[in-house]
Amino acid sequence: MKLAILGSGPGGYVAAVRAAQLGAEVTVIEEDEVGGTCLNWGCIPTKSLVSSSEMFFRAKRLQEFGIETTGTISPNFLKILERKNRIVNLQIKGIRNLFKFYRITLQEGRGQLISPSEIAFTSKNGSHGTVKADRIIVATGSRPFQLPGFPFDGKQILSTDDVFSLDAIPKSLIIIGAGVSGCEFACIFRQLGSEVTILEKLPRALSTEDTEISEIFERELKKRGIRLLSNITINKVDTRDGSIRVFLTDGTELEAERALVSVGRSLNSDGIGLEKVGIGKGVGGEIIANEKMETNISGIYAVGDVIGGHMLAHVASAEGIVAANNSMGGDERADYSSVPSAIFTSPEIASVGIRGQQAAEMGIKVRTGHFQFRTLAKSHIMGEIEGMIKIISDESSDRIVGVHMIGPHASDLIHEAVLAVSKGLKTTDISRIMHAHPTLSEVLQEAAADVHGEAIHAQKK
Amino acid sequence: MNPDDLKYHKEHTWIRLSGKKVTIGITDYAQEALGDIVFIDLPEGDTEIEANGEIGEIESTKATSSIISPVSGRVIKVNDDLTETPELVNDDPYGKGWIAVIEIDDASELDDLMDSSEYAKFVEEEAK
Repeated sequence: MKLAILGSGPGGYVAAVRAAQLGAEVTVIEEDEVGGTCLNWGCIPTKSLVSSSEMFFRAKRLQEFGIETTGTISPNFLKILERKNRIVNLQIKGIRNLFKFYRITLQEGRGQLISPSEIAFTSKNGSHGTVKADRIIVATGSRPFQLPGFPFDGKQILSTDDVFSLDAIPKSLIIIGAGVSGCEFACIFRQLGSEVTILEKLPRALSTEDTEISEIFERELKKRGIRLLSNITINKVDTRDGSIRVFLTDGTELEAERALVSVGRSLNSDGIGLEKVGIGKGVGGEIIANEKMETNISGIYAVGDVIGGHMLAHVASAEGIVAANNSMGGDERADYSSVPSAIFTSPEIASVGIRGQQAAEMGIKVRTGHFQFRTLAKSHIMGEIEGMIKIISDESSDRIVGVHMIGPHASDLIHEAVLAVSKGLKTTDISRIMHAHPTLSEVLQEAAADVHGEAIHAQKK
Repeated sequence: MNPDDLKYHKEHTWIRLSGKKVTIGITDYAQEALGDIVFIDLPEGDTEIEANGEIGEIESTKATSSIISPVSGRVIKVNDDLTETPELVNDDPYGKGWIAVIEIDDASELDDLMDSSEYAKFVEEEAK
């Protein structure tokens, strides 16, 4: 079986490896570096910046932990980027090695479907050719969305990709969009010393999160000195030497050294031959794929950002595995019932399942349990006491249907909750199993107990 | 311990009346119960607030707690010193740890509040 995959991001490369494990002869066509947005401009580089900024933030607290210092500490953005590059390059090497091990052919070039079994490619040096395949997986991903009136110039008006070409930490930064990326970058640059203002047209930051979580997050922004202006509309933008001015419709005028536009992503579904082959697209340009990852054309599958939906790397990888298995004769469906989300702000935010406001909309009767990180000894030991966890359970069955947390290591802690939601565990399944002491994982145990008012370390009247 | 010239609310806030303006803070009992205060989410200036409504949020190393306003009115001043030094509330809850000044709508709301001895009794009852 010959399989061709268009794109080598977390959807494409994982599909390639999985199909090769099943014995397929795989060719991956990639116009840029392997790893896609996730590895080159997204998850990995941004989290590397998060780590550097956190390290600086903590270093300023050394005395609090009993460590004496002499001299000054300061961030060097170019060195921070060098470290980021080392991490990214190591991961790129890792994917290339996997390809070698599994005898996956990596064809450099921009690919375009020319028939249901052929992809034409043109590489950067002008060479071109055609890859023939029995099955095709489209995994072309997405790119930063350009806001009309805010053309990226890579210098003053930045896309989230452009951040990695900056040569210094901006003294001041206006971030357009208080979504996941916008809030992550706000925390990174604030911790590195920038004056940060976030502009959001919706009433809340991280508006897709549980309301209680985003309320706490907004307070954490305030605590960190990040200014959030929500419910705003931008009227005009003016760039001039060395600064950018943003005029809001309510008359407010803001000035900063640079602006970062982070208002969502455009899908890479144009110019790849979908029309030629007759692959169906939705109104947002997304390829329409079913839960088996099949498009309307037999033998052609699509996964990841380009099919819309969650737009998360781990979802793309899960879909990639389903598509690979199905292309090799399997009959699997992607399961979206317990997709974890992790936001690497300071503090981190993570969630799985339904949100509080959703339960009300869906008419589901629920109970909730809460627990504060600051109640745990481990939080005080680590010096990270901010945050809270909320568990939502179905009132009649006691099954856990949603878990939301903001606090230290939330992105790691969420996975016990993912297992609970995915397997339909009850709150007592979590509250009655032992959690090692002293660990942050105790928040889950206590919040699960709190659903029935039985948390040991909570004083409720 | 609780100054006699103040009025007290059951959510452990106090007010000091001066003409149409009242200064609001949290009581010594409240700061003692909260422990070391690490952050105070202050109200924005010029916002309207309601009696028994939340005016801000206090975070201590032990707990987070809403600050409940005993009166209705408009916030005309906030204690910006608390942004950098929230521990002023622990050190001097009735003085430098004041939280906000509110211009009140309805002076009769003050009649519902406790005086210092009533509040002392209330705290004693609550502790039981």
